[in-house]
Amino acid sequence: MRDVTRDPAALERLRVQRSRLADRLRPPWWYVAGAVVAWAVGFTGQFSLQYLPRVDYWAAGAAQLVLFCLLQWGLARSSGLKVGPRPRRVLRDGLFYYRPGRPALIAMLIVSLAVGETEFLLIRHGRIAAAAAAAVAGVVIQATLQLAWLRGVRQALRDGEAV
Amino acid sequence: MTAEAKPDPLIHPITRLSICGLLAAGADWVEFAALRDAAGISDSVLSKQSRVLEEAHYVEVRKGAVGRKPRTWFRLTPAGRQAVEGHLAWLAQLEQAVAAGAQDASAARPAPAAADQPRPLRPPLLGST
Repeated sequence: MRDVTRDPAALERLRVQRSRLADRLRPPWWYVAGAVVAWAVGFTGQFSLQYLPRVDYWAAGAAQLVLFCLLQWGLARSSGLKVGPRPRRVLRDGLFYYRPGRPALIAMLIVSLAVGETEFLLIRHGRIAAAAAAAVAGVVIQATLQLAWLRGVRQALRDGEAV
Repeated sequence: MTAEAKPDPLIHPITRLSICGLLAAGADWVEFAALRDAAGISDSVLSKQSRVLEEAHYVEVRKGAVGRKPRTWFRLTPAGRQAVEGHLAWLAQLEQAVAAGAQDASAARPAPAAADQPRPLRPPLLGST
């Protein structure tokens, strides 16, 4: 078997292989569409309080979580890579143990809270059109941030730092 | 990378280095086909080398199926990760040493006439550091 000390390009080859592995993580169309739907479902929660009293507010959050899990499962199946925070590690090490794409993940949390609060206030003051516009803007921003997170994970895979 | 830079004879061969280096890149689990395609090796080579790494407790293997299609997933164990990080750090040092050696050789070359026989560059052998 070949020996790396007789092949000084071994590390360079590994970089190329890592890049090839990272390229498998490019999101397919259904991942982008699924992310948009998941965020749209999440941001309808505030409207359900006002207009759909029989629908539990938390049901929107639960549906969103299920959609995210399905998206991650689908991506793992299509790419052959399981990345991102793993449930057991999250329980053991906290939500932010996973470093790649962390700025995008934090931005997603902040935008999620900000859009939710804005919607709540606007609906309370009867400004429904403005609340809907805030929800649409939130969906676009969140889907973009989710893709940015995935880009961060791909970059970390290329650099070999996504531990 | 915080692991101590030292060579590991088990992951020294290029194929095993590729497998471990790819698994250490950060994905939690990597599927057989993804690993095979990224490393550019055949099914049989991956099976054989992954078994060696599994026996050394460097790699964990999980077998499953989607419908009738069998699926095999790999991931590094903590011991495997430590060994790979140490080995990659050692390789990076080696790469730097070879690059520095090449620079020295070109700087020490006195005249074009003497350049007929360039100084041979030999990277240190495994275990010599």
